[in-house]
Amino acid sequence: MLKIKNLHAYYGAIEGLKGVDIDVEDGKITCIIGSNGAGKTTLLKAISGVVKRFGSMLLDDMEIGSFTPRQVARAGITHVPESRHIFPGLTVEKNLETGTFPWHGFFSNASFTKELDEVYELFPRLKERRNQLGWSLSGGEQQMLAIGRGIMARPKILMLDEPSMGLAPMLIDELFEKIVEINARGISILLVEQNAHIALEVSHNAYVMESGKIALQGPSISLQHDDRVTKAYFGSLYKKK
Amino acid sequence: MLNNLIGLTVNGLAMGVVYALIAMGLILLVRAVGVMNFAQGDLFMLGAYLSFTFIVNIKLPYWLFVPASLISFAIVGLIFMAVTYWPLREASYPQAVIIATMGAGYVIKELAYKIWGPVALSMPALVINPETGTTKVLEIFGIKLQWQYVMIIAVCAVLIVLVFMLFEKLYAGRMMQATAQDKYAAELIGIPSVVTIAATYMLVTMVVSIGGYMVAPVFFISATLSSLQLRAFAGVVIGGFGNLKGAIIGSLIVGLIEAYATLQWSSYKDAVVFIVLIIVLIFRPQGLFGEKIADKA
Ligand SMILES: Nc1ncnc2c1ncn2[C@@H]1O[C@H](COP(=O)(O)OP(=O)(O)O)[C@@H](O)[C@H]1O
Ligand SMILES: [Mg+2]
Repeated sequence: MLKIKNLHAYYGAIEGLKGVDIDVEDGKITCIIGSNGAGKTTLLKAISGVVKRFGSMLLDDMEIGSFTPRQVARAGITHVPESRHIFPGLTVEKNLETGTFPWHGFFSNASFTKELDEVYELFPRLKERRNQLGWSLSGGEQQMLAIGRGIMARPKILMLDEPSMGLAPMLIDELFEKIVEINARGISILLVEQNAHIALEVSHNAYVMESGKIALQGPSISLQHDDRVTKAYFGSLYKKK
Repeated sequence: MLNNLIGLTVNGLAMGVVYALIAMGLILLVRAVGVMNFAQGDLFMLGAYLSFTFIVNIKLPYWLFVPASLISFAIVGLIFMAVTYWPLREASYPQAVIIATMGAGYVIKELAYKIWGPVALSMPALVINPETGTTKVLEIFGIKLQWQYVMIIAVCAVLIVLVFMLFEKLYAGRMMQATAQDKYAAELIGIPSVVTIAATYMLVTMVVSIGGYMVAPVFFISATLSSLQLRAFAGVVIGGFGNLKGAIIGSLIVGLIEAYATLQWSSYKDAVVFIVLIIVLIFRPQGLFGEKIADKA
């Protein structure tokens, strides 16, 4: 569904991505793993168009390689950023409402109760907290809110950057069950994770990144027991069970 | 005595709503772009001068004056943004924009001096007594009120409610709030921050300029109008920095204190306002309504 060819990204003179090829298959969970600083976040930012990038990105048959962030969002790719970035001074419900912007725009009167119900069904906790301000939520709730806001955009592809970050192990399992459920509802997912163990568990296809390049790729099952994955992490954070 | 007190209350509320307009503009800019605007009083003054030109020099009829002035206020806001914010938006220290607003304040004052001259101008009141040529007096139950003060309260109160509704109740206003709170997240959602920031600058300038137009008949139009910004600052601090409701209530309090102070210490009314400000700061440094950090987040 999304085919990326030879994608480069730059922070000024620093090259953050050095030619990356990735396929995000329709209806699947694709994960990008790799140690800290490997360039995973940069890859998502490059897809969204918030860093300077060059390369080809085909969404279905549309070339979106030079789209602005606004156009990418409207084309159906939604980026749930690292460290959540929810709006602290808006209530939970209004945070969710902002997610509709890509298809709603400033001035239409379109209703989004259907999307809202869907998110509340998925995360009943958010419904309980609907009138609470964003900053007052716990880390896990903020992550649910960030993902919920992403779903409000009616995405074809939902890109999640390190959803497990800073969460207790029990919460991580709970959250990843939800991610699988979102995928089961027909939304393709591009998942970026440092936690390779759980990412390989839930995903269909996997890419391992190392200093701005793809070091390794394959079906997640086969990478689960591949020693090269451990090596790519240099034993840093990944502990093999 | 009672009549006098009611009269003072009306005057105090009238000045209070004007300060509230200025204060609300300050907070919106702080929230939308993270900029404390030290030229707010000068934009306020410019609004009064421009209105003077439209009404007295060009003699526009009312139905033309309203759109013409609103459009010109919006353009002033855009120019102000283009000059003080745009070139510096990516400066490595955000104070740069704040310093630029101070500079812009001087430029606006000097420009006004060059265009409209050093002599204070007198603006006709909205409702005029045909015999005296000054503002008409409204008499209810034996209480005498100046029409201009009543009009100030009505117009400014409507504006305050409208701006409040725009930000709190309308979808577009919430997207503006969202951009103000997290530009990066807003960009990812696809909200064009240039548009919301430009809209905020235009709206704020329109609102304070209307404030300038409304008080112009009460004062003379001169550079001293811009100093009313200090009262709005006091209102913002008394109300609790960053909080819209707090700023509005704080500004009303400042207006009322100032009015009541004239009963006893007419020449010291500024001192009284700032003594109250200091007392508030000593006992409630976060301001009267400043406990929720959330509102300014
Ligand atoms: N804003 C930036 N400016 C300059 N270099 C950056 C910036 N953001 C990230 N980088 C660099 O790009 C590389 C990849 O970073 P990132 O994509 O955040 O890695 P990951 O998400 O895999 O931890 C790192 O070497 C990092 O130092
Ligand atoms: Mg990262």
